[in-house]
Amino acid sequence: MFRAILILGLLSRLLLSDTLDTLLEEYQATTENSLETVNEKIGHVVVYSQKEIRLMQYRTLNEILKELPLFNINTNQFGLTNYSLTGSKTTTSGFFRFFINDHEISSGYDQSTSLSWSDLPLDFVDHVEIYYGESSFSFGNETGIYFVRIYTKSALKEDGSEVAAWFSSKTGHSQSITNSHIFENGWSYLLFANQEKIKKTSLYNQQKLTSNGTKHYLFADISNETSKINLGYTDITKSNYAGLALDSTPNDGENLSKDFFLNYTHFLLEDKSLKANFSFDINERSYEESNDQGINITPLIDLSIPWSIPKNFQEDLRFTKSNAYLSKSFESDENALILALNVKHKTYDVLKRKSTNFLNQTNEIEHYNSFKHETTSSVLLQESYSLHPELLLVANAKIDYYDRNAYLEDTSEKLLRIGTIYTPTSHFGFKAFYTQTALTPSFYTIDYANKNMPNLKSQEYYFYTLEAVYTTGNSKFGITFDHVEIDNFLYQTPVGFVNVDHTIKTDGLVFDYEYTFSKRDKLHLNYYTSTLSEQINNATKGGFIKFMGGYQKFDYFTSIIYRNGYDYLGLEIPDSFDLSLGATYHATKDLSYSVKASNILDKSTQSLYFTNFGSTFFALDDNERSIMVSFKWVF
Amino acid sequence: MKAFFFIFTLWTLSYAEHYTFLVEPYTKEVELEAKIIYEIATASLDENVILFIPKISPLEEKVYSNYFTLTKDCERANFIFINKKEEIIECSSDKKTLFFTNNYRKFLSNKKFFGALFWNKSRPNIVFSHQRLEEKSISLPTTFHQFIENF
Repeated sequence: MFRAILILGLLSRLLLSDTLDTLLEEYQATTENSLETVNEKIGHVVVYSQKEIRLMQYRTLNEILKELPLFNINTNQFGLTNYSLTGSKTTTSGFFRFFINDHEISSGYDQSTSLSWSDLPLDFVDHVEIYYGESSFSFGNETGIYFVRIYTKSALKEDGSEVAAWFSSKTGHSQSITNSHIFENGWSYLLFANQEKIKKTSLYNQQKLTSNGTKHYLFADISNETSKINLGYTDITKSNYAGLALDSTPNDGENLSKDFFLNYTHFLLEDKSLKANFSFDINERSYEESNDQGINITPLIDLSIPWSIPKNFQEDLRFTKSNAYLSKSFESDENALILALNVKHKTYDVLKRKSTNFLNQTNEIEHYNSFKHETTSSVLLQESYSLHPELLLVANAKIDYYDRNAYLEDTSEKLLRIGTIYTPTSHFGFKAFYTQTALTPSFYTIDYANKNMPNLKSQEYYFYTLEAVYTTGNSKFGITFDHVEIDNFLYQTPVGFVNVDHTIKTDGLVFDYEYTFSKRDKLHLNYYTSTLSEQINNATKGGFIKFMGGYQKFDYFTSIIYRNGYDYLGLEIPDSFDLSLGATYHATKDLSYSVKASNILDKSTQSLYFTNFGSTFFALDDNERSIMVSFKWVF
Repeated sequence: MKAFFFIFTLWTLSYAEHYTFLVEPYTKEVELEAKIIYEIATASLDENVILFIPKISPLEEKVYSNYFTLTKDCERANFIFINKKEEIIECSSDKKTLFFTNNYRKFLSNKKFFGALFWNKSRPNIVFSHQRLEEKSISLPTTFHQFIENF
C-alpha cells in the first residue's frame, strides 16, 4: 500500500510536471533562488536568495551579515554596527565594500558604511550576494577584501505596491512602502521609502549609554533595457552611545548624517558589451559631544598639555564622490576579456568645527591637515580563459594612480589576481585564487593619524583562497581555506592611527553543509575556525545551524549562531549563542504576518570599549533578547 | 525494500537544486520561460511553431532553439514573442501570425496581442483575451481556460 502511494505520488509529479500551472510555479521558485546574477569569477560567493530572505525573516542587512563566517559584527563606540575581520575589532571598517546594484555606498570619509547604511531594510531588496574577493577588479571601485552586493527588487517582476512594517520589543520599529510600475515603452520604475526608529540602551558604570534615533531611507530605480538610473537617500539622527568620551560616558552627544547618491549605468552596442557608469555621492555629517571628563579627539590633543583636551566638540563636514567608469567586454567560446577605465574624485570640506577645552577656550578649527581631495585613476582588465570545458583560468590586473593634494605623496598601486575554477564532474568543483591588493588611507585615517607619523602608507593585502564543493542528491558540502598576509596594517592606537611595522598573518577554514529536504525545507550548517598572529580582541571561531521551511500557509525557521569566547588582557568574554525562532502565516497570497524571537538564550556577542586613552577597557552586549512582529501586504 | 529506496532516491533527486559552481551562464529561468511559451504556442497553433523574437539575445537563442524552430525573419514566423521594448512588428506576410508579449500594458492597449506572460507582485502570470482568441479562431485546451479574461 505504502509502495503504491509512493509510486502514484511520483507518477503524478512527473505527469503534471509540464502543465502551465506547474511551469508557472517552477518559474517563480527558480527566480526566487536568485542565481541569475552570480559571478563565480570574482570570488567565493554566498547567495542569500529571495526565498531564504523570506523564510528566515531577515529584515535588515545586518541580520544576514551576523552569521557570515570569518566575519564579526560588533557595536562600535557610537552605537553603530561595525564589521571586523576575524579575531579583530575595528572602530570603522574599510575592508568591506557594499553595493546597491552598481553603486558602492561606503562613506567618502572613512570608507565605512556604518553610519548611513548599516541596518539597511531589506523590504526593497531582491537578493544579496556576498563575495570573499576583491570587488574593485570588476567594478573599478575602492578596494576591499569582502564585498556585499545588494540587488534591489525589479519593477519588471513587481509591478505593484507593498507595505511592510515591524515592531520590536527592544530595537525599535520600521515602516516601509514600495511602489513599482512598468510602462508600455519598456521603461519601469521602483520607489521605496522607509522610516525606522532605532533603540539601543546599555548600562555602563550605572550610566545609560543610548543609541536612539530615527533613520529614513529613500530609493528609486528607473530603468529600461539599456539604462539604469538609481537614486538613494538616507538620513540618521541619533544619540552617540559611548561616543569619544574619555570615560565612555558622555554628558550628551548627537550624530547626524545625510547621504545622497545618483548612479547612472548605460549599456551601448547591440550586444551591450560597452558599459558606461557615472555616479555622484554627497554626504553631510554632524557630530556633537560634551563630556566633563574630556573627549578623545586625537588631532586636537597634545598629551604634554593636559588642558588641551576638549570637553565640548562640534563639527559639520561634507564629502563628495564623483565617479566615471567605462568598460568593454569581448567574448568568444573560450575567452572573456573585460577592459575598463575608472576615474574617481573625492572632496572633503569642513563646514564648521569648534572645540572647547578645559581652560574654556573655544577654537574654530579648519582642516586638521591639508588633505582635502583625491583623484584616483584606474586601468583594469579581467581575462578568463576556458582551457578545457572543465577548467577555467581567471586573471585580473589593475593599476590605481592616486593624485592627492596634501603632503601625502602621489602613489600608484598595482593590484593583481590569478585563479582557477575546475569542475571535473557535475558533483565536484574546486576554486582557487591568489590576490594582491592595497587599501589606501582615507580622509579619516589621515585626520586621526599619529601626529609623529602622519605619512600613513597603504595597507598591502596578499591572500590565497581555496574552495572545494561536493554535491550529491540533496546535499552540498563545501570547504574553504584562506591565508592572508597584511603589510602596513592600519591600527588605531590611543594616540592615532599607525601602520603596524610587521606582517600580520591570519588563516581561516570554513566548513559548510546544506541538506534540502524539499523545495521549502532546508538545513544549513556552518563552522569556521581561524588563527591570527596578533593579540585577539574578537571571536576567532564560529558557526551556525539553521533550518527553514514551510507547510501549507506557514513558513518557519530556527537558527543558532555561535561565536567563541576569548580572553583579552584578563577580561573574559564568554561564548555567544544567538538562538532565533520565527514563523510566518500567509493569510492570503498577498498578506502575511510574522513573529520572530531573537537572542532567546540572552547570550549575545560582546564588543570591547576602551577608556582613558586605552588604559582601561570593558565589554558590552551587542544585542538584547527581543521579539519582533511584522506584516507585509502586497497590492 | 530496494524499490522503496529507488523511488525515494528518484523523489529526492527531483528536489535537488544544488550546484557546485555556476561557471556557465545561468539558463534555468530562460528555460522555464521558453517551456511556458512552448506550451502556449503549441496549444494555439495547429502547425509546427516557427518562432520569431525581435532582438533575441545569444542566451535566449541557445535556450529557445531547444524547443522551437527559430527564425530571424518575422515573415517566416507563425508565432512572434515580443519580450523587449520594441513596438509591435509589422510583417507583410499573409499567413496567420500570433503575437504574444511579456508586457501586460502592451497587451491591454494593442489588440494584435492575443496573450501575455508577465510578472506582477513577484509572481508570473498568463493572460489571454477571450475576444481576441475568438477573432483569431484560436481554441485553447480546457486547462488554459483559467487564464482567459473576458474582454
